Amino acid sequence: MFKAKPALIRLAVATLAFSLLALNSTQAATTMPKRIISLSPSATEILYAIGAGSQVIAVDDLSNYPSKAPITKLSAFSPNVEALLNYKPDLIILNADATKAVEVKAALEKLKIKVFLESAPLDLSQAYLEITALGRATGKISGAQNVVSEMKSKISAAVKKGKTTKKLTFFHELDNTLYSATSDTFIGKVYKDFNLINIADPAATADSAGYPQLQSEYVIKSNPKIIFLADAQYGESTETLSKRAGWNGIAAMKNKSIVALPEDIPSRWGPRLVDFYEFIATSIAKVK
Amino acid sequence: MKILKSKGHESVLAPIWNWKITAFAAALLFFVGIMAISFGPVSLGFTQIIKTLFGLPGGLTGQDRTLLIDLRLPRALLAALVGAALATSGAVYQTVFRNPLADPYLLGAAAGAGLGATIALTSAGADLYSLLPIFAFFGAILAVLISFFISGKFFAEPNSLLLSGIAVGSFATAVQTYLQQRNSSSLRPVYSWILGELTVANWQVVTWSSIYILIALIILITVSKQLDGLMLTDEEAYSLGINPNKLRVIAVVAATLATATAVSASGLIGFVGIVVPHLVRGITHRVTNRGLLTIALVGASFLVLADLGARTLLSPAELPIGVITAFVGAPFFLVVLRKKRLVTQ
Amino acid sequence: MIKIEDLNVRVGQRNILADINIEIEDGKWTCLVGPNGAGKTTLLKSLLGSQAYSGSITDSGVEVFKNHDRNVAFVPQHPQIPIGMSVSEYVMLGRSKRDGWGNESNKSRNLVADILQVTGLFGMQSQFVSQLSGGEMQRALIARALVQEPTLILLDEPTSALDLHHQIAVLNNIELLKERGVTIISTMHDITLAAMYAEQIVVMHQGKVLLSGTSDFVIHSPELKTAFENRINVFTLDSGRPVIVAKKDLSN
Repeated sequence: MFKAKPALIRLAVATLAFSLLALNSTQAATTMPKRIISLSPSATEILYAIGAGSQVIAVDDLSNYPSKAPITKLSAFSPNVEALLNYKPDLIILNADATKAVEVKAALEKLKIKVFLESAPLDLSQAYLEITALGRATGKISGAQNVVSEMKSKISAAVKKGKTTKKLTFFHELDNTLYSATSDTFIGKVYKDFNLINIADPAATADSAGYPQLQSEYVIKSNPKIIFLADAQYGESTETLSKRAGWNGIAAMKNKSIVALPEDIPSRWGPRLVDFYEFIATSIAKVK
Repeated sequence: MKILKSKGHESVLAPIWNWKITAFAAALLFFVGIMAISFGPVSLGFTQIIKTLFGLPGGLTGQDRTLLIDLRLPRALLAALVGAALATSGAVYQTVFRNPLADPYLLGAAAGAGLGATIALTSAGADLYSLLPIFAFFGAILAVLISFFISGKFFAEPNSLLLSGIAVGSFATAVQTYLQQRNSSSLRPVYSWILGELTVANWQVVTWSSIYILIALIILITVSKQLDGLMLTDEEAYSLGINPNKLRVIAVVAATLATATAVSASGLIGFVGIVVPHLVRGITHRVTNRGLLTIALVGASFLVLADLGARTLLSPAELPIGVITAFVGAPFFLVVLRKKRLVTQ
Repeated sequence: MIKIEDLNVRVGQRNILADINIEIEDGKWTCLVGPNGAGKTTLLKSLLGSQAYSGSITDSGVEVFKNHDRNVAFVPQHPQIPIGMSVSEYVMLGRSKRDGWGNESNKSRNLVADILQVTGLFGMQSQFVSQLSGGEMQRALIARALVQEPTLILLDEPTSALDLHHQIAVLNNIELLKERGVTIISTMHDITLAAMYAEQIVVMHQGKVLLSGTSDFVIHSPELKTAFENRINVFTLDSGRPVIVAKKDLSN
């Protein structure tokens, strides 16, 4: 008998190894979506930061960062199931606040498309959890972990630098009808990390849901030392504020601590949160 | 009684209603419906659609089939139902209130539904979101009931009911605005609901809304011929064999049922209830309520077409359907009004 | 025979009609006369059966309230004019009683065509009723009542809005109904015309019937003058026809 046995064994082992490899790669293929559509500007930023950018085939019309993202006319808030279908995606990241998000998800899943429903996080730790979850959904777990740890260290550095012991009161203006955000909101918590005192907190009522509308008199009386203008992108500035009756007497106006917040950054909860924290830290340092 | 016989005038009178028109409207609906389910960002072949619908071999499979059966078909059906409901109840209200400008949202139904929807959206938690249609439905019905209750003298003066409807509507809108102010996160969802949307119709919605709408439509079409009597004074109607009060109640109840169901399924879609009845009357030169079935069919076609436009015109974005009905409806309406004015001069 | 016994009609707090007891003969023309507010229209509506009353009104022995077995035509003083409806369609509505709503038989259409001829409306059959002049509208109302082929016809001031020529034309058309045995009851402001056409006259004043009887009898009665607070003069022409006019001096 010629020595077939060792040859056979080698063949068997090779086949086994080969098929295991093949199996593994198909498994990897099913867990790593290759055609992702992001209908959330924050998710878009995160996807590119964790290294899933090459898997993204389309993003919604508000996802303007990073600029290399394939921006389309798809709407984040009014998703159109059929239009999405046209792209032949295998994963769609859908904003839970979108119109009829529940029904859209159900319809897409019926069409055998995976849907990742993301809701706006309530605080920083939730944001980290969501970034990690996105990493899992896209097969970029290590990428996500890297992003999270980098965010954690940079943010704590910024907070350490900017944290103040002085009693710095501030007013965060959402629009020129004086809607503000309390410390219960995500953005309110960012300010809280710096030990800033939010004048909107005492004005919160049971159903303002974190976004009370303040009265002009109240703002004047509270005499905030810094004013953050989230509506700077809509034209509000030191000049327009000085035209408001009685506002010139406010401390923030007198020592020129009116901070125009950059567009988008405060409303995106992805890796650019770091930029926001650093921006706040710098602004605080400038206050006399 | 001396009767003059003119020569050979067997049936010189023009027929009151030409049923060929109704048949045409039905055919139009069918045609428009097929168009609606084949067009969209994803095109489906016409013959394949027919094969799939009739269960013949060679139809669509997989994602395309799901698209047709679970997305397009219910959406087109819902559009047809809502269009028929709104057009018919608009026509009925116009007859009952002897007011050519009446629309199905009179009597505060729209404002009541809006308030119901807002309550559902602003109450604690998203739990009530799935109950939104129920809230909207009962909001509409309650508003109409309150209008009846306030006006009291409905039977003598339909116009007093109209006025109390306006009052109830204004009040409901005020409350709704207040609730929205206190819950600013509800602004966008309520607003988009108000604009009207059929975006993610599913078979569940189609099932329950079709039951109520079809019941209401059957009732209205059954009494449609007698509704003509409501165009006369109550004594004239009575002398011709009608009980005008009873008929008015039946008509208003059925029409309100249709409207409330339509609103809770698809939000507030305007113009259909005013434009379609006048369109049909203008084209057929007849105001008889025998035209109700035709009005229902044309209303269905109108909304199916409008929904097709909502889906495709600005693709991939969706136009709110209320915008389309307004854009199309308003000019149509003006044209019909002009022709009517010339005629009645 | 229409019998009215102890008829009282209250609307809200007011007694519109009080203690009316009269009989109206079939196949004759009866006219209700009296000043404004006498309750003529309300009596007409009670005879129609749509107005609630206490007491009794019977037509051939059957109570009339909400009794749809009768075929009664009602011609109002101020009709509700549907917009966009053609004359032929409007007149055709009258056939609802005989044919049922919305079923126009060929027989009906022929009859309507005939009546349109008789009332001179045939040429306008496709025009909108809202476009008709006052006289044409009145004729359309009469035409509709005629096609109904009723047993009783109630007319509320059928000639008030018409010029002299049309008044006579319309009244002549109504008179044709008598040949069919139709009972005619009308209210009239113009007592001269009433005297010309009606066999029976009922004088009403403030919700009560002062007198009911044949034309001749009533015209020359003191009750007629009382109903109008003695402000009328009754003259008789050589032909025997009575003419009733208001006095110029209203102080009496």
